[in-house]
Amino acid sequence: MLYFELFIQGLVQGSIYALIALGLTLVYGLLRILHVAHAALFTLGGYIGVIVTNATGSFTLAMVVAMVLVGFAGMLMYKLAYQPLLSKPPYVSLIASIALFIAAEEIFRIAFGPYGLSYQTPPLQGQVELFSGFYLKYAEILVMGLSTVLLSALAWLSMRTRTGVAWRATVTDPDMARVFGVKIQNVRYLNFFIGSSFAAAAGVLVALLNNLVEPTMGSVPSYKALAIIVLGGLGSIRGTLIAALLLGVLESFGTIYIGHLLGRDAIAFAFLILVLMVRPQGLMGGKL
Amino acid sequence: MKKAKIISAVVMSGLLSIATAHASSIKIGFNVPLTGFAAADGTSALNGAELAVEQANATGGVNGENIVLVVYDDQASPKEAVPIAQKLIEKDEVVAAISGSYSGSTRAAAGIFQEAGVPYIAAYAVHPDITRAGNYVFRTSFVGEVQGRAGAKLIGETLGAKRVAVITLKNDFGKSLAAGLKESASDYGITIVSEYEYGIRDRQFGPIVSKVKSDKPDAIYASGYFFTAGPLVSQLRAAGITVPIIGQEGYDSQKFIDIAGAAAEGTIITTSLNRDSESSETQDFIREFESKTGNKADMVAASAHTAVKVIVAAMRKAGATDKAALRNAIAGTSVVAATGTISFNALGEVLKDVQVQIVKDGNWHEHSVISDAKLLAPPNQ
Repeated sequence: MLYFELFIQGLVQGSIYALIALGLTLVYGLLRILHVAHAALFTLGGYIGVIVTNATGSFTLAMVVAMVLVGFAGMLMYKLAYQPLLSKPPYVSLIASIALFIAAEEIFRIAFGPYGLSYQTPPLQGQVELFSGFYLKYAEILVMGLSTVLLSALAWLSMRTRTGVAWRATVTDPDMARVFGVKIQNVRYLNFFIGSSFAAAAGVLVALLNNLVEPTMGSVPSYKALAIIVLGGLGSIRGTLIAALLLGVLESFGTIYIGHLLGRDAIAFAFLILVLMVRPQGLMGGKL
Repeated sequence: MKKAKIISAVVMSGLLSIATAHASSIKIGFNVPLTGFAAADGTSALNGAELAVEQANATGGVNGENIVLVVYDDQASPKEAVPIAQKLIEKDEVVAAISGSYSGSTRAAAGIFQEAGVPYIAAYAVHPDITRAGNYVFRTSFVGEVQGRAGAKLIGETLGAKRVAVITLKNDFGKSLAAGLKESASDYGITIVSEYEYGIRDRQFGPIVSKVKSDKPDAIYASGYFFTAGPLVSQLRAAGITVPIIGQEGYDSQKFIDIAGAAAEGTIITTSLNRDSESSETQDFIREFESKTGNKADMVAASAHTAVKVIVAAMRKAGATDKAALRNAIAGTSVVAATGTISFNALGEVLKDVQVQIVKDGNWHEHSVISDAKLLAPPNQ
């Protein structure tokens, strides 16, 4: 029973990682940019979620508002920070991204105070007995449920719609896609919108699990999401999802059984090193 | 709240400019994390210290001269704290200094102040090595181990719990608390059934919560700061764990109760600030802090306030020119401050009672006081 509980806790954490890392992998797949500032959008989502919930009392509204606003914030970030640097070598946009992330942390602190914010009446705090002796919090069910819904919607969008075809075409061969009439710029905006709104959803969910958003809540995701997309095979969506869930479960068991040797974050990177020794291209990456 | 912050920023910049304009005022250095992960504690500590300075100046300063706090942001990082200490000593030529910061940066700065012969007081950093830097370094709060031992007495004797699960924050603070608890555990019939560690950036404790639940302890001793303890306690309670949770001064903030909400009720901590104290010193501090900042008083603010008060009292006795005389006056301190009656042992460690507080109806209240001088004896060398 304990093992099962640890496994489920790992999936909860893994779902959060998946939502965050997905945006990162989308951006990398399309533009070959390591989008560190993505984690700042995750934090922004958490703040908007808490502020809107506290102001209106509606958690659903807060989730929608956070996803939409942060989606636009992501597009804006692309427009202002990345687009002007696209012709430069990739490390230039990486540096810009790190700078954006650091600046964002301090802006959150100045705007919302150093103490962080909490839900005044945290929604979904009860728990339900799924079967004898196994309880799950409503918030945890929502984390797994919403991640599944969002990721399925994305899969449907990319596989079953014309927009999705254009998107995949652009990832595979931007020049060819352009020749066939795909508006590359729109694909990039869409890409940032979706990735950022997923990160916002993750931020709202994390705020729900912890009942706390803080200026620095993006600091762990900022580098762990990078580890996840490398682990998954850079740019591979399927690989990212598998890596995220796998890492969530590994950390869950690791925290309990080897926590005194390796901290949670160290487990992630130890695993990354092990995998890269065997498969340098990552779990799902193509041949190098 | 926001207005108060702007005002305090204006006041602070005002103070800093006064520091350069009037060479005759007395400067006390203050390193404190105002950005980064510890910014919340740092802001509270700064507010507490500023309040003490305002109060001292309103009551005549030191021999008619005003006291000025020279403030630098150390981000709770040792590599920031070292140049700050040097700047405070050489450029600002402070007479004494206070750390409103965590152990890492305080440890790094302590040696530099010691070498320069500038008295330095750690307001709330817990690492035992800080005062071992030398005879110019003092501490107005408990060493981690002392508070851990107090925790053992609280759990084993006062609460009568025997099987304890320990959740330790993996840094100087958490580790020294756990060491103190284990040291005294057997004296109070406590068995440690399991122990887990977590990092300061962790906010999600799902796996630990599941495991603690299956351990079925009588009590949980969990170290952390309000921003880790808030999520931890709320997650433990949400999983249906009802045994007492014992924390320490890191929990000591209204923010802990804001984060954990109803789950915070009944949480018991060992700390330095007794909200229900009958001492007028403590009550004055709590009232004036709230009216100055709009926030409820917490342990870090009270400790920074206490540290300033100790230095001011020593300056009023020994003057503010001769640092050696000032150091001796601090060593001989006997002051009633917001955190109790303060005096120091030979190493510069504070001798005072441990306050036990409990969350009741959304506020911290007195639970009990531990005043066992032998149990609470801080290291002497």
